[in-house]
Amino acid sequence: MSGGKEKKSSRSSKAQGWEEAGSEFYQESYPGDQMDNIHRDPSKLATLLPSKQRVATNRRGRQAQEFKTTRRRNSTLTATRTFRRGSHYQEIQVATLPDLSENLINESQTWEEIREIKAMPVHMAQKRELKNQLQNATKLRLQGFEQIKWKRRKAWQKIMTKWSEYLTKMELWRSSLKTIEGNFGTGVVAYFVFLRWLMVLNLLIFTIIFMFIILPQLVLIEPKDLPCDPNAPPVFDEKRSTANESIWIYANTSVQCCRETYLNEIKHNRSEFSILHLFQGTGFMEKTFLFYGMYTHQIYGYDPLANQQQQSYGSNSYNEGTSFMSNRNLDNFIVDENNSTNNNSTPFMNALLNFSDNNNITTTDLTNFTTWREFFSKLDIYYDLPLAYIIVTIVCYLYILVSIVKAVAHEFKDRLVEGEGQFYQYCNLIFCGWDFSLHNQKSAQIKHKALFNEIQGLMHIKRYEFERNNRTRDIMFKLILIRVLINILVFIILIVCAAVIFILFNISLSVIEPNFETVTRYRSFNVFMGQIKKFSSGTSELDQQFKILFYEFLPYLCIVIFNLLVPILFNYLIQFEQYSPLFVIKMNLFRTIGLRLSSLAVLISRFYYLISAKNENSNTECFNESYGTPMCWETFIGQQFYKLFIIDFATHILVTFFVNFPRAMIARHMNNAFARFIEMDFELSKHVLDVVYSQTICWLGTFYAPFLPAIAAVLIFFMFYIKKFACLVNSKPSTILYRASRSNSLFMIILLLSFSISIIPVVYAIAEIMPSRSCGPFRGLNSVWERAINAFEKLPKLLQDIIFFFGTSSFAIPCFIVLILFLYYYYSVSAANKHMVQVLKNQLVLEGHDKQFLLNRLSLFIKQQQEYQKRIQRQFYDQASTTTNSQQSQGINMDTIPPPLLPRAPRSETGSNDRSERSSIEIKHHSRMSKDIGDI
Amino acid sequence: MGNQPSQFTEEELRDYEDLTYFTRKEILLAHEKFKAISPEKVNHNKNAKLSMSKMMSTPELSSNPFADRICQVFSSAGDNTGDCTFEDYLDMMSVFSDQAPKSVKAEHAFRIFDFDGDDMLSKNDLKQVIQRLIGFNNQFSDLDMEQLIQNILEEADLDDDGSLSFAEFEHVIDKSSDFTNSFRIRL
Repeated sequence: MSGGKEKKSSRSSKAQGWEEAGSEFYQESYPGDQMDNIHRDPSKLATLLPSKQRVATNRRGRQAQEFKTTRRRNSTLTATRTFRRGSHYQEIQVATLPDLSENLINESQTWEEIREIKAMPVHMAQKRELKNQLQNATKLRLQGFEQIKWKRRKAWQKIMTKWSEYLTKMELWRSSLKTIEGNFGTGVVAYFVFLRWLMVLNLLIFTIIFMFIILPQLVLIEPKDLPCDPNAPPVFDEKRSTANESIWIYANTSVQCCRETYLNEIKHNRSEFSILHLFQGTGFMEKTFLFYGMYTHQIYGYDPLANQQQQSYGSNSYNEGTSFMSNRNLDNFIVDENNSTNNNSTPFMNALLNFSDNNNITTTDLTNFTTWREFFSKLDIYYDLPLAYIIVTIVCYLYILVSIVKAVAHEFKDRLVEGEGQFYQYCNLIFCGWDFSLHNQKSAQIKHKALFNEIQGLMHIKRYEFERNNRTRDIMFKLILIRVLINILVFIILIVCAAVIFILFNISLSVIEPNFETVTRYRSFNVFMGQIKKFSSGTSELDQQFKILFYEFLPYLCIVIFNLLVPILFNYLIQFEQYSPLFVIKMNLFRTIGLRLSSLAVLISRFYYLISAKNENSNTECFNESYGTPMCWETFIGQQFYKLFIIDFATHILVTFFVNFPRAMIARHMNNAFARFIEMDFELSKHVLDVVYSQTICWLGTFYAPFLPAIAAVLIFFMFYIKKFACLVNSKPSTILYRASRSNSLFMIILLLSFSISIIPVVYAIAEIMPSRSCGPFRGLNSVWERAINAFEKLPKLLQDIIFFFGTSSFAIPCFIVLILFLYYYYSVSAANKHMVQVLKNQLVLEGHDKQFLLNRLSLFIKQQQEYQKRIQRQFYDQASTTTNSQQSQGINMDTIPPPLLPRAPRSETGSNDRSERSSIEIKHHSRMSKDIGDI
Repeated sequence: MGNQPSQFTEEELRDYEDLTYFTRKEILLAHEKFKAISPEKVNHNKNAKLSMSKMMSTPELSSNPFADRICQVFSSAGDNTGDCTFEDYLDMMSVFSDQAPKSVKAEHAFRIFDFDGDDMLSKNDLKQVIQRLIGFNNQFSDLDMEQLIQNILEEADLDDDGSLSFAEFEHVIDKSSDFTNSFRIRL
């Protein structure tokens, strides 16, 4: 019972407030002065209306300070309310319902009400008084279950406060945010909050990856793979062979042998430690778990060696990771029998806890186990890392998608509510325009100016439109021509950038990968390359190393430089196009995104070209050496993204501290036109793009370099400080008005866009491209996805059927139809709601007019009343003077004059019991009015 | 605040906790800030009354065009001088905090904007609000100002009475997603 009641009361409904106010309207007596005002100014009467009264009662009380008031949020809250309006007028007791005996409230309600006090707009002293009053009031004790429920709620509340306190203490960068907000306003602070959000997202992603991929790899002991046996006969590859073509895998290209070659390669060529490797991701870095290549394709707790002998043993079925290997095993049955008996069979427990492996393989009967150890060692506990790798990747990307979409939806909802919002642009600007958090005089000045401009812009928008519509044909033609030309120019710039990156990437590759130059397609190019090579073959060892470093980073440097310089060019070009200011920002943003994505696209296409080359003799080679394909291309790509990420971050440092900082210093200490020219605004969109770009790189590379999210999180952490410096020291607040909601939705939409674009190559690579033979969890498979399919085939038949059913049209079509129906349903509901809003709005306006009309009538009526009364009084005086002349002894007093008759209004004497409440209130009202009038 | 004993009794702190949107830590922090305005006075009496000019010298209010109105609205002195005690200050910060719901903020915003205190935002009130918003260095022509106010009223004045009541004001604020963000002062 109390649950529902509480809910009702806790909502403390506006409706109640209105009713309450309404009754007050009737119950309150009108002091004479107010009526006086009303006579003079009928519009004052409006303040007596219920709609105005709700707040009015609180506020009026507030100004006259000697009162004791509470705002009754609930009808159950009983408090006496006394108003004192000025000292000359009599005190008027406002009738409220202080009937404690009637609605006794219980503890839980009291508690609820105490918690509501804080929302009341009264002073602390009054709040405290009210609280005491509530606490001391008699109340019912809750019984039984109710009591428990209330206690639980109380405890929950307490935990929540503790938790929020804890959270605020934990909140990162709280004071930094305050400083930024104080100087730049909420729009810019939203950007920094966004940075923090991204960092947390990256950390979460990394936690998932760490828990399920990296940790097992670190802790579990990898089972020994089959040894490389170059002399083994070739094996028929069932999966890749077709009817007309049969593919045989030769022993020297078996997964094991390729792996060995690769490891040797790393060991010999790239083992010495060098600080350069740290930035390149090569050398010793390549051997760490930083990159894809070092992850195992083995199933933990499952030994392929032992498996050879147990073709019939239960766990055999989990051998799909090395599918063709098991074919081979038949041939290699004799290999290393000693080893297999020692290091036999199963479990992951064995590896983890270093159990002595004395279990006999032939016993499959569980009842024979004597100890729990044996029991465990016989359980088929295994950890399938390759499968985990796929699942974790999918989960991570889904998680990212969901969290972005959630944020976007949230912003979108806000925008929708506001969206109607075109109506409220002036009000928004005026009432929500000022950032109360600003606490810097200079920024406040700029804010004033920005608001001024914005308001003026809004005011003159009609004028602009008029101008735009009235452009003469000549001007119009010229403008269109200019726009087309500039768009073509922008397009050309983009193509040139892409081409330059393409060429530089080739150059860099040809220097680093010696095999690359044998590509016949670039014969003429190779001559040029040869010269470069001659040049680059420097004298000393260190020189050589630095040159290689330079070439390795060349394309990325180029990308970053383009990212810095080309937007400036775009900025310059857009001046000629004469767009509206808001559109200029959007257009610039759009073009810059185009630039950044195109450079990434070129990069990825180069990678693709390298790795996707059809290897004619794939049977005899582990990788397409003649084509320049890296041995472990996944690691190679991981390295490239790692490099790009690092260099991107480095440029942020460089630009912020060594370019923009001196610039800002010069601008600050010089006071001329030049200073104004080099002074910088904090351009939000540009900085957002920086962050989103590095995040995109992270997403692209995560699959090939599982540590990338962690690196991203760390670098974003530092990025926060860099950007803070860029914001507080290097720039001055922008004259463009950034609103928190607007900029938030901007970030999220850009992020969503780049996420959806960056996921395409990753998905393609997972589904289509053949993983390299020599490294990674998926070596020997035709595609990464094949691993998932294999796992799927191992599922029970029923489950498979169910999942297959989801894929069939018999499920998809009804589902599709149902979805469409739902869509239509919600569409029509929203349309109806929109219509309803319109109707209600019209009604509101009509009521307003009605009210206006009634008020006018009422004031007119009061005036008439007054005159009528005066006339009566005058008549009476006349009469009295005549009568006093005649009968002096009677002595009629003024007080006994009967109240004037109200036309149409029933006299209070005639009000019988059966009248409705409403009319009795009316009577009261009228009689009071007449009394007031009588007083005058 | 750590080593020196708190100036508040347990009872008072609990009251403040119940009656504001703050946690205990934040209340103490607020008091630190209040003390920083005028250390000797507050040390003497923790609930000392500070004059409006003192209040307006705090960084949070110093550049706010509505600072005097804020002080007046939250002041419990009642004589429109805008002098504030610590409790008033706490009230103020509580309303401006992140935790305060939109409706509470809207109510106070309304009172801040209501210069003549007649519970309606009249044209005159709006004019003052706009003037303070754009700063006194910038001026709209009378015609523009008139037009602007007309536009505002057109948008928000649903009953056509030439001024905004609280209900109308709240309606507008409800539709604005920026309001909670902008009507906020971090402690």
